[in-house]
Amino acid sequence: MNGINGGKATTVGRTAGLYIGAAVLRLALFTLFPGLPDLLTGRVEISTPVTSFKRLQEGLFLYNHNVSPYDGGVYHQAPLLLPLFALLPSFAALPVFTYLLYIAIDLLSAHALFQIAESGEPGASALYTSPRRDKRWGGFVIAALFLFNPFTIATCIGRPTSVFTTCAILHAVVKAISGAPVGAMVALAFAAYLSMYPLLLLPPLLLLSYDRQLPGRATKSLAQFAATNIGVVASVLGMLFSMSFLITGSWEFLPSTYGVQLTLSDLAPNVGLWWYFFVEMFDSFRSFFLAVFWLHLSAYVGALTVRIRRQPLVVLTLLLGIFAIFKPYPSISDMSLFLAAVSLYRHVFPLMRYTFLVASIIMYTTFLGPAFYHLWIYAGSGNANFFYAITLVWGLGLSLLVCDLTFAVLRDEWEVERPEMVGKEIRQI
Amino acid sequence: MRQLLSFSLLSFFSLCFAVLTAAADYHEQLVLRPLPLSALLASFNFRSNTTLSAFEAHNFRFFPRSLGQILQHAGTRELHLRFSLGRWDAESWGARPWNGAREGGTGVELWAWLEADTDEQADHQWLTLTNALSGLFCASLNFIDGTRTTRPVMSFQPEGDHPNATDTNTHLLYGVLPHEVVCTENLTPFLKLLPCKGKAGIASLLDGHKLFDASWQSMAIDVRPVCPPEGEGECVLEIEQTIDMVLDIERSKRPRGNPIPRPLPGHELHCDTSKPYHSGDTCFPADSTANQDWSLSQVFGKTIKGICPLTDPNVPPVCLQVPDSRSVYISNGGLEKKNQDGMSRCFEIEPETTNFELLLPRPEDLPADNLQAGQQVENIVKPETPLLYAERSFTGHGQERGGVQTILRNPSPDKEVEFIYMESLPWFMRIYLHTIQARIEGGPSDHDPLVQEVYYRPAVDRARGTQLEVRMRVPPASTVFLTYDFEKSILRYTEYPPDANRGFDVAAAVITILSPNKNGTRSATYNLRTTSLLCSLPTPDFSMPYNVIIFTSTAIALAFGGMFNIIVRRFVAADEGPEVSVGSLKQKLVVPLRRIFARVKPGPR
Repeated sequence: MNGINGGKATTVGRTAGLYIGAAVLRLALFTLFPGLPDLLTGRVEISTPVTSFKRLQEGLFLYNHNVSPYDGGVYHQAPLLLPLFALLPSFAALPVFTYLLYIAIDLLSAHALFQIAESGEPGASALYTSPRRDKRWGGFVIAALFLFNPFTIATCIGRPTSVFTTCAILHAVVKAISGAPVGAMVALAFAAYLSMYPLLLLPPLLLLSYDRQLPGRATKSLAQFAATNIGVVASVLGMLFSMSFLITGSWEFLPSTYGVQLTLSDLAPNVGLWWYFFVEMFDSFRSFFLAVFWLHLSAYVGALTVRIRRQPLVVLTLLLGIFAIFKPYPSISDMSLFLAAVSLYRHVFPLMRYTFLVASIIMYTTFLGPAFYHLWIYAGSGNANFFYAITLVWGLGLSLLVCDLTFAVLRDEWEVERPEMVGKEIRQI
Repeated sequence: MRQLLSFSLLSFFSLCFAVLTAAADYHEQLVLRPLPLSALLASFNFRSNTTLSAFEAHNFRFFPRSLGQILQHAGTRELHLRFSLGRWDAESWGARPWNGAREGGTGVELWAWLEADTDEQADHQWLTLTNALSGLFCASLNFIDGTRTTRPVMSFQPEGDHPNATDTNTHLLYGVLPHEVVCTENLTPFLKLLPCKGKAGIASLLDGHKLFDASWQSMAIDVRPVCPPEGEGECVLEIEQTIDMVLDIERSKRPRGNPIPRPLPGHELHCDTSKPYHSGDTCFPADSTANQDWSLSQVFGKTIKGICPLTDPNVPPVCLQVPDSRSVYISNGGLEKKNQDGMSRCFEIEPETTNFELLLPRPEDLPADNLQAGQQVENIVKPETPLLYAERSFTGHGQERGGVQTILRNPSPDKEVEFIYMESLPWFMRIYLHTIQARIEGGPSDHDPLVQEVYYRPAVDRARGTQLEVRMRVPPASTVFLTYDFEKSILRYTEYPPDANRGFDVAAAVITILSPNKNGTRSATYNLRTTSLLCSLPTPDFSMPYNVIIFTSTAIALAFGGMFNIIVRRFVAADEGPEVSVGSLKQKLVVPLRRIFARVKPGPR
């Protein structure tokens, strides 16, 4: 008894140490390199038009001076961020409060990941238990991998608002696993309110919370459960929108925040595939291809949810990977969330076929991307194709990772039916 | 006899006409002012009036009919149109002519007060106006669309009197085309608006080759209603056409006989002998300020072809601003009148004169090659110091982001300057207003803030440009830096002009200096404009839209295909399931082919 308690205490102590270490590292980066936050904020890999901290400051400045931030082409972020940041002491005078807020958000996300890993959901969901589940990483390792991932650190220092979405998504998953469907739906509604695309995570999240209902208060009918929870999401979203309406005084924030993502009117370069495609697109086909790209993005939701019905968290992970590649304004912040979710599936790593290739591609593009961007924008010795080529390789590498993880998870499921096939060569027909 | 009768009738009618048109007069004047550094400012001014009632009855008289009909059609109350080129060198040339009120930034500028009930109607009328003026002046004014139009709040005040106008039905719209190249095709329609069409009077000096070769030139058209003080007659609609140009005298004189610039022979060089290194084989060029000697035919290429018979005889057509000590030669038919101030003189031309020539010789009392600094100034009128010097430039490098810095210097030792700084920027320069900063060179000021009021209307992508108006002040004898950051956006490839890597022109900033009135309010007294800027945006590769579409589509197809391939298909062991190999494929192909061959081939039966 004592031993168990002592073990738990050391785990708690270790985790606290991890969090403190991560916080100190970030604070040190913020304070010891005063030029670093602004440098990273200006990077296109971190800040997109819909998440940039500089644009947030501009929106805040306009909001504080009674100019509607949505009556312009700069600010495309959710209205409720404005009062939140207006409550903080002015960034110009006391930046440390903003730093602390971003560090806290990172720690909250890490703690959510810790809880997800500790719940054992990745290895053993309600409907399926992996034979390999013992070979997994604990919450401490998962949280450490997230907190000390260079992509996460760079994101935190660059302060895009996508970290709030990341945090909301992770907490939605935690609530769903712990049997609190309403909490999960509220968190998801917040994520969707902040950046719209998390709404596509609703079907797998519904299934996850349906599977993980507390025995005492379970709703048997899936249709009834889905209807109730979709109602919760809709009403929370409606509430958030009406609060936004009260704050900004008009509905013009809708086209300015979500319309921009739907129509891609701002073509600022980023790590995704959309911007250059729509720079070069012929005007008459623009709306057609916008529809195709959005349709493509949402096509995976249904297929994955049905095919991997027994492991909804896998579906969530894969969708996060797909969004990190194919959403209109992706950044490395989405990549860090996806990588953290992938690390939950340590037990299927041996079934993956291209881990070395994927790791090489990610390293290659991480170093070559900024170099080629510099050649295009500053040195003038390269052109836009240089950076475009790197985003293409990045997208291909990530989609290889997503496909490979899908393969590994499905093979893991299949080997429960055919235990004799473990380690054998297989093919798909 | 008959001829005599008709002549007397004509003169009778013309007398009647003169009486009738006491209000509807016309006058023109050319003011020549030598400037330092061998420059000559020539200001042409043409002004005609018509009463508002006559104008509304389509009785245009001296008012150009083509323009008048456009103004009536578009409901224009007041109109200002500018065509400009070059840069006014305030450091050497001093204050601007007309206090800057008759000049524009590089390119074309247009602002007008339109009478309309709603903003939409005003926009519609503005569209009508710009398109009509575009045709009239052969300029691309029709490209002044929503992204280039702003509604200034503080910078512009109506010059005319609008007694029965209210704020709600009068709309000020301002459009600017910094990329427009002003050239001869704009001058020709400008001259056609004049009553004498450039055939007689001072307008006969205007020639595209000289005008557009000037260091700086600005053509202006101003139409405004002017009302006399109450109870003293009728309101008139006044059209004022102005051309200001700064000619480089050396350059203007050169093409005569020596059109190709060649180095002067050594003995013709004017050297500054006061330099310590001056010797037989070294020469520092002497300041040519006092060497100004020119004649009208030298600088303009021709002489004045008489006077326009319609012009008001009380206004002398040519004035020259040089000190009285200098002698000026004029051709027969001219009459010199020196003004009281001792710094200018005017010339009247008799109606019969067909060619009027004016010659300003080199000051005779001083040997040309041996001038001293103190004596140089006396030979020309010393330029007036402007109220404010302004320079604007880009900061930063790269095609991602940058900053704009305006250096505003107040030369006055004891007077503060208050002014409105207005920028209208294209939408693809996304400015960050929270970075706007005004600082005094050499430390912050401890009293009032420099920026007193900001009006800002942010840009909307592809729909509206940024409008920024800042009311600020510069303390005496100090320099203020106004800076802000902006981000350059990448455009769709069809939105780039053919010369995309040249960059995009950014219109001049308009600075309106305010001075206190008698009744406590402040009104504009002096205008100046900075130079326009060239902003280079990141460019995509224009040669490969197909390649990009194909590559991206392939990447997406690979991801989609790879994913659904895994999702849709079943797992089997490598040796299970139907055989798929080259052998089995061959079988599948060969068997039907054999059957066909068997049918076609006439085999033994």
